[in-house]
Amino acid sequence: MKQDEYAEFLRPDATKRPVSRDYLEQLGVDLEADFPGSTPEDFLEYPVLGEGGWFIVVKHQRTLATVSRKPWRLLGPITLLSDGLDFD
Amino acid sequence: MASSITDTLAAPRDRDEPSAQTPAALSFDDLPLRALTDEQFLARYKTDRFTASILASRMRYVVKHMSTVLLTTAFSMILRDWYDFAATISGPRDMNYPMSTGSDSLSIFMFTMPEGIRNTIEEFGPENLRPGDVIIANDPYRTGLHVNDVSFIRPVFYRGKAVAFVTIRAHQLDMGGVVAGGFSGNKKNVYENGLVISPTLLYRDDKPVRSAFNFIFDNARYGELLLPDIRSLYQSLLLGERLLLESIERYGIDAYLGAIRYSCDVSADSMREAIRTKIPDGVYEAEDGIDADGVDDTRDYRLKLKLTKYGDNIELDFTGTSPQARASINCGPLDVKAAAGVALKMLIEQQSPLSSGCFRNIDVVIPPGTFCSATPPGGPIFMYWEASITVLLAIYKALAPVLGEDAIGGDYGSLMLHNGSGLTKSGQPWLTVGNCGGEHGPWGGTKAGDGDSYTVFHVSNNLDPATEAVESDVPVVVMRKEYVADTAGPGENRGGAAVRRDTLWLADGEHLSIALHAKEPSGIGVYGGRPGTTQACWLFPGEEEGGAGLGPLLPADDSILAQSVPVVGLLDPETKRVDPNGRYYYYASRKSWAVKAGGAFRFQTGGGGGWGNPLARDPERVKRDVRDEYVTIEGAYRDYGVVIEGDPINAPEQLVVNVEATARRRREMAAA
Repeated sequence: MKQDEYAEFLRPDATKRPVSRDYLEQLGVDLEADFPGSTPEDFLEYPVLGEGGWFIVVKHQRTLATVSRKPWRLLGPITLLSDGLDFD
Repeated sequence: MASSITDTLAAPRDRDEPSAQTPAALSFDDLPLRALTDEQFLARYKTDRFTASILASRMRYVVKHMSTVLLTTAFSMILRDWYDFAATISGPRDMNYPMSTGSDSLSIFMFTMPEGIRNTIEEFGPENLRPGDVIIANDPYRTGLHVNDVSFIRPVFYRGKAVAFVTIRAHQLDMGGVVAGGFSGNKKNVYENGLVISPTLLYRDDKPVRSAFNFIFDNARYGELLLPDIRSLYQSLLLGERLLLESIERYGIDAYLGAIRYSCDVSADSMREAIRTKIPDGVYEAEDGIDADGVDDTRDYRLKLKLTKYGDNIELDFTGTSPQARASINCGPLDVKAAAGVALKMLIEQQSPLSSGCFRNIDVVIPPGTFCSATPPGGPIFMYWEASITVLLAIYKALAPVLGEDAIGGDYGSLMLHNGSGLTKSGQPWLTVGNCGGEHGPWGGTKAGDGDSYTVFHVSNNLDPATEAVESDVPVVVMRKEYVADTAGPGENRGGAAVRRDTLWLADGEHLSIALHAKEPSGIGVYGGRPGTTQACWLFPGEEEGGAGLGPLLPADDSILAQSVPVVGLLDPETKRVDPNGRYYYYASRKSWAVKAGGAFRFQTGGGGGWGNPLARDPERVKRDVRDEYVTIEGAYRDYGVVIEGDPINAPEQLVVNVEATARRRREMAAA
């Protein structure tokens, strides 16, 4: 999923998206070795605000173990009125 | 990846390579600072422990001096007497702007600063910075807080590179918009809210940028106060820059940058250990909310919190929180993060100074479009603290059951801020902001003792202006500031008592009061303690408006409330007394409250929450509370099971505890 798609996806009642086994493998997760007994359903992808700003993370929900943490947009989900203006 | 869940948790959290947009974050390392050898310390911080500690202290010295300059030279009361600002030091872009140091002032200012500075400088373009610059921004969506809280950011150059940012976020008396001073919960969108300043150059080569000053002063009121305030702010930044550069010259740039990182790691280290040791693994949920927005009272707003703790990490998920309000009582995600940081510092980690490192093991999850993550243009943010207080309270509630004696009772939970303006008889404009309402009140009880009764709510940290200063600035007489008996949440350590403030207005004016926590007590009780009372406000029109003409001093007796016009509160419709089962009076039922000279307001804050079982409170402490009028004789019997005999008004030192009757009463209460 493209990062900016999160801004459209996020609603007050929905912040987290499921991930696939393939996606976890792309992230370098060896499910059986790293999280024995867990399935892809135990992981979710979503934006967080923490030290350093906004990130898109993939976390193992039961243990909060982070398997991916990528910087997101500076303002996270906020779209300013001036966003998208092209001055050139 | 590590080979098992256990190993995964023990290892540093994984991080991908940073993008060009966001430079490298501080590296993560779970090894406590105290476990590092001298060689490891030197390798990580490019300096020894002693020097890193000296430089960390020196940076605190720098922000203290920046603050002192502003306190002693500012012209407006909001800065001079309210301490409505914060000063910070942040590191360079290639460290991702870590905020190493904050001043001893507004905690919510401090915790929004790391993002505020990063967002401002990244949008302005770090490549466009020069020595002698000051950049400003005030957009709540970019920098947090509200438009009156302007960030003044000074890049500090050393040998051609911006190695630091000294910053002061300071409340400006007015930033335009539909209400003088800006404090209103009724503004419907960002266009009414006030002047939004995107990252803008205010000084270049240490000379004012004329267009930027025009931009502000052609939009904002009270320019005669704003201009000297801005000059004071500029001088504070110059001092901060000079002191920082002296430190770098003396100790070297490597040691300075190491100390920036060290300062953040100290906070991260302490918070991580507190998370690991003080909160059991688990999922904790709670709700809090505010009464209404500025449109009508048909909607209340609920904050939903799911706090997950595992190992060293916490995630605060606010999914499901009510949609954004239709008026300016919203806050933004940065304010939520800030309030969460204050809550966790208060509850589990009070030892280390504030820095951006506090959040290393804390993630906030919040979707856009809630009243705590409002979006433009229809989600205006101004009374941001009222919404962000709900974040703090929800965390207090969620963790209270597992923190046991470390839980903290809720405070009065709302500024119930008063804002008044008008013209004197000679035509001189006057404005008062935050000086004559319910801005100061009680904290909750803790294991350390009773809650203080007159301070600023937990997510803030201001001062209280002197009554004489208020009365010299505006046409008002502050007739009463006193505590109200039986309002504090009972407990082994009780909450602080509600504060009652009466003000008599000597000139016609328009008044606003934004009170958003009247439906339920924000002074929650913990560890067996009970909640404090709710907030309320009443208007007493003067004789000219057909009021009772109660004279210069409103009687303290609650019976006088029957003659009032309720402004806000859960009140008995007949007696107008605070009543948890009463009718809700809505603060924005009038767009503003016009008051002729001779009218008076009474504000009463909420009471602080109690800590511990009230029946465990030493009867002698209850007797002292009766003597000091925090508790009545009836309240002592009802809430504490303590039978006091005597006359607290006319013979307060002759009060006695009836020991046998007290034991009997307490047995009955315990059995019930």
